[in-house]
Amino acid sequence: MPDDKDKENYILFKLVGTTYGIKSDDVSQMEMVEHITPVPNAPDFVEGLVFLRGEVIPAINLRARFGFEKIEYDIKTRIIIVQKGERKVGLIVDNAREFVAIPGEVIKPPPETISGLSGQYLQGVATMGDRLILILNIEKVLNFTNIKTSV
Amino acid sequence: MVEKKEKPKESSKKNKEKDVVMTKGSNPLNLREHTDEIVRSGNELSRINDRLKEDAEKQVRKLDETIKGLNELASIIKETASQVESIASSSEEHTSFINEMAASIEQITANMVSLTSSINETSSSITETSSSIKNVADVTQEMATSATQVTTSINEIANSIRHVSTETDSLVTSINDTASTIDEMAQSIKSVAENAENLASAAEETSSSINEMAASIEEVSATSENLAALVEQISATIEQTVHSVQGVSTSAEKISESASSSASASMQLDRSIRSIANLAKTADEITNRATKDAQEGASTIEKSIKALLKIKETMKQSSTVIRDMGKRSSEIGSIVNTINLIAERTNLLSLNASIEAARAGEAGRGFAVVAEEIRNLAERAAKATSDIASIIKTFQEVTQEAVTTTNEGLKIAEEGSTLAEDAGKSLKKILLGIEDVAQLVNQISTATNEQLTAGQNLVNEASITATQAKQIANATSEQSKAVYGMVQISGQMRKIAQQVSQAMAEQAKASRNIIKAAQNTNNYAASVSRATKEQADGANQIARVMESMKKSTTIISKAISEQATAGEQVSREALRLARLIENINRAMSEQANAANQIDKAAENMKRQADQITKAMSEQSRAMKDTSFAIDNIIKQIKLITGGNIKQSELTTKISELILDIRRFFEKDVEIVHDSEKIISNLIEKVKSLDILWKKGQSKLG
Repeated sequence: MPDDKDKENYILFKLVGTTYGIKSDDVSQMEMVEHITPVPNAPDFVEGLVFLRGEVIPAINLRARFGFEKIEYDIKTRIIIVQKGERKVGLIVDNAREFVAIPGEVIKPPPETISGLSGQYLQGVATMGDRLILILNIEKVLNFTNIKTSV
Repeated sequence: MVEKKEKPKESSKKNKEKDVVMTKGSNPLNLREHTDEIVRSGNELSRINDRLKEDAEKQVRKLDETIKGLNELASIIKETASQVESIASSSEEHTSFINEMAASIEQITANMVSLTSSINETSSSITETSSSIKNVADVTQEMATSATQVTTSINEIANSIRHVSTETDSLVTSINDTASTIDEMAQSIKSVAENAENLASAAEETSSSINEMAASIEEVSATSENLAALVEQISATIEQTVHSVQGVSTSAEKISESASSSASASMQLDRSIRSIANLAKTADEITNRATKDAQEGASTIEKSIKALLKIKETMKQSSTVIRDMGKRSSEIGSIVNTINLIAERTNLLSLNASIEAARAGEAGRGFAVVAEEIRNLAERAAKATSDIASIIKTFQEVTQEAVTTTNEGLKIAEEGSTLAEDAGKSLKKILLGIEDVAQLVNQISTATNEQLTAGQNLVNEASITATQAKQIANATSEQSKAVYGMVQISGQMRKIAQQVSQAMAEQAKASRNIIKAAQNTNNYAASVSRATKEQADGANQIARVMESMKKSTTIISKAISEQATAGEQVSREALRLARLIENINRAMSEQANAANQIDKAAENMKRQADQITKAMSEQSRAMKDTSFAIDNIIKQIKLITGGNIKQSELTTKISELILDIRRFFEKDVEIVHDSEKIISNLIEKVKSLDILWKKGQSKLG
């Protein structure tokens, strides 16, 4: 049994059939998509604003952020509220239903063949059994200015 | 006659050569001979008349027989008519196709009417004949009275002759006184000569009257020849009748044949009607069975219709049930969705709890475990709900399928129901049709039953017709027998006519002889005249020959007595003549009676013809119901009717011919009457001769 200190908790979510992992410490909470208020002159991936626990949080469609096609929201669609410093952002994903602890040694840096934006957002690739989990670099994901300039 | 003619010449020669006295004796002798001869001729004539009368009687009898034969013929024709009538009445039962026959019967009726009218004509002509016969009878009566008168005058002659005889006796005694008055005699001889001339003229008159008689006899002869010709005609007509009767006989035979063939045809008809009746019975049975089957089918179809209706109901019910099920399943779906949502939320809550527990560090460890367990349960719940969802989805698909299938089934059930209803309606129609058929079959059955009885009647009627046709054949054979009898009678009549002809020829011969005798008388009268002249010359010699005169007077006396006997004979003959005339008279009255009987018979015929006409008209009314099968018989009956009409015509012809014969008889009778008159004339002449002779004698005396 590996030591608990080597392990970190991840929230697993799915996007276009692929399983991603995000650190539980970065997630403040998770919600179902209920009401999104659109904002004028926002970029394509910004869906609008959601009102949660007294806070107004911007919601990003991660499919659009990662360059995939948008789909309709359903009962399984989740909005994951991530917090980095004072910044809180909601990531809209296809599904999110697992809370797992992943040991640090199974997380490998992303392969060099994956470059560009994808590589930029990924922190590493974890293998658990036959499962492949892409670990997100949340700071990069939340870097809007960079994104803005790149767009 | 030739020898006698020569005798006076010889005697006149003798007078000249030898003795004059002989002339005085020879003349009266010759005269007596001639008178004798005339009387004999008269007798012969009477005999011939007698024969004529006998023949006439025979003729009348034959005529009666002929009339009887005609009546028989008429009765046989009537019998035939009644046979025809009974055929017609027996044919009354045949109730169809009759108008033709009725028309022909009406034709017959018309023919009968014309027959009746012709019979009426015959009757009227017979009546006329009867009246003419009565007239003849009257004439004959008159003739009889005149004959009686003749007889009395002849008796007077005989008496005077007897008187002469007695006076001749006194003549002998006074012969001597005579001599003295010879001179006076010479004077008187002159007057005798004158008288002789008168005698000659009288003799000539006699001769002329005899010629008249001869002529009338020739007439009679010609009439009898005509009679013979008529008889020939009658026999020819009767032969024609024979032909027509034979024709009728063959027709009757044909009727018999056709009647028997119609009888056999009716039997066939009966058989076929029987088979039809059997077929109708079978048809009835079959229809009954068909009715039963159809009724069973109808009940079955009603049952199936009910069953189909039940199916429809059930299907409707199941359809609604399935729809309910569908609704329920969608409700279940929504519930499952809710459960799913709850499961998702539970999962979300457990994740948030895990996040919070991780943040709490060691303190949140137990909570993290609980959160994980809750998350697992939520996962299981989610999985179960997704399973339920998929199951419900299939269930809903199946339900939908079931709904469509049920709808289709419902539709099919409805179609089946309508089809079954149609089938039921059709079956009801079939039932109605079968009922109609059954009714028709019943009607056919009753009709064939009626036909059966009618056919039986037809068979009976046909057999009756056959027997009646046979009866007609028999009647016609009787008719032909009767006609043959008539033929025989006509042959006999022919014979009699020939005999009459012969008798007439003999009469003519006799009359010729009389004429010759009269001529001789004339000659002798001339001789007498001459002799008287010679007597005048020889008057002076008379005295010398007184003795011989005495002898002569004796001879004269004898001759006169002979004359007296001859006169008596003449008287007898006259009586016989009278009797004969009476006989003729009787015959005439018999003829008149016969004519009356004929008249009655004709009236009977008329009545019968009227009855026949009436019966025919009744028949024609009743006969409007006779069948087609009798058409043949009708034709034959028409033929018979034609034969009957022919026969009637022939009968009428015969009647007419008989009337002609009657007329000839009448003529004969008249001629006989004329003969009688002539004879009476002759007798008168003879009487005057005798008176002259007497005068001469007295003067000589």
